[in-house]
Amino acid sequence: MAAKAYNVADGPNQWEFSCDLEVDYESEENASIVHAALAVDKELQPDKVKRHMLVSDGKLSVHFEAVEARFLRASYSAFVDVLILATKTIEEMGKGMEL
Amino acid sequence: MKKMIALGFEGSANKIGVGVVTLDGTILSNPRHTYITPPGQGFLPRETAQHHLQHVLPLIKSALKDAQITPDEIDCLCYTKGPGMGAPLQVSAVVVRVLSQLWKKPIVAVNHCVAHIEMGRIVTGADDPVVLYVSGGNTQVIAYSEGRYRIFGETIDIAVGNCLDRFARVLTLSNDPSPGYNIEQLAKKGEQFIDIPYVVKGMDVSFSGILSYIEATAVEKLKNNECTPADLCYSLQETLFAMLVEITERAMAHCDKKDVLIVGGVGCNERLQEMMRIMCSERDGKLFATDDRYCVDNGAMIAYTGLLAYAHGTSTPLEESTFTQRFRTDEVEAIWRIKEESSEVDGLMDESA
Repeated sequence: MAAKAYNVADGPNQWEFSCDLEVDYESEENASIVHAALAVDKELQPDKVKRHMLVSDGKLSVHFEAVEARFLRASYSAFVDVLILATKTIEEMGKGMEL
Repeated sequence: MKKMIALGFEGSANKIGVGVVTLDGTILSNPRHTYITPPGQGFLPRETAQHHLQHVLPLIKSALKDAQITPDEIDCLCYTKGPGMGAPLQVSAVVVRVLSQLWKKPIVAVNHCVAHIEMGRIVTGADDPVVLYVSGGNTQVIAYSEGRYRIFGETIDIAVGNCLDRFARVLTLSNDPSPGYNIEQLAKKGEQFIDIPYVVKGMDVSFSGILSYIEATAVEKLKNNECTPADLCYSLQETLFAMLVEITERAMAHCDKKDVLIVGGVGCNERLQEMMRIMCSERDGKLFATDDRYCVDNGAMIAYTGLLAYAHGTSTPLEESTFTQRFRTDEVEAIWRIKEESSEVDGLMDESA
């Protein structure tokens, strides 16, 4: 998947609370798989929390922004759970998987 | 020709299951793991999702191992799109999206209720029954008509299983293996019938008022030693199940169908099966029911239903592999049954000629 740049119009740091997360998969393919799997689920409250994801150089970067800290915390923590799940799935079910 | 094989994922409530099936309905493997909460407590979305996160990957491995297949042999990956609890549903969806890319396999999104029906039909051989789908989250009387499973009657508030589960919490019965099972066992020792409200509204039923009533009555009567917990379980079961038998019978009369299929977690209750069997025999029909391996949520039912859709040309693009808490049974076009039906019509025309 092609790397997507942040949309400048609603670019980063529009809202007061933000945080960033970067995972280095050292593999463009694996980073893109995780990106594609997690991009399907949109943020449940787009008027309160925004999430941007981008793959480049084998890394997945995620930027969160929210109007209140509690929304940021909820979104971020739910996202990390599924990010770990997707990553473990690749590790355990990918190439050379053992049954 | 090689048999088509599907891998299915179910995680819409407190069970996570992975199943492998072939198109003829052979179940090659169907392991599952249940999130069991302490007595007096229900399961909450966040904790349930955590449980699924911990168990899903080992379950995939044991499903493939038990079925003695490799990922290469799989034709499609099926998952529960809904209805159910959001966070638990997401676990299956995310795993399937990753596997689809890793193994280069198509995805099929499946409606949980339709999966219960198809699993029940293939396991019991029921051809065109009125279906009573009863579980912790759903209570519906369903019949197939013109391309879809139509809902003829349903609960207007909580599910029958939810009513039973929550009453089990009042009595602090164990949730292992399930609260409903423990109510069923205790009900066998009931001796006295306590009158509780009976709420059928046309084709629909309502359970929330009954729950409030028995919650209040239980505390009061138990305190005064007027009855035993067993009497309450017995009375509650008799009342709830009589309501379900009544609306099922009304749907049968309406659709002119003779057979009944019971699916969903509450469907393994043997007292419910017994009451329904009596009603069916009085109408010269037959009752079809299954045990807990198939009526309780499982991966195989999702795999089988997804495979039916896939074999008839349906799949779900990755970008559209979402999940949803609300997804009604009649939103799904049962394309596999339309083809079954048209071949039956041909058969009937031959007969009349």
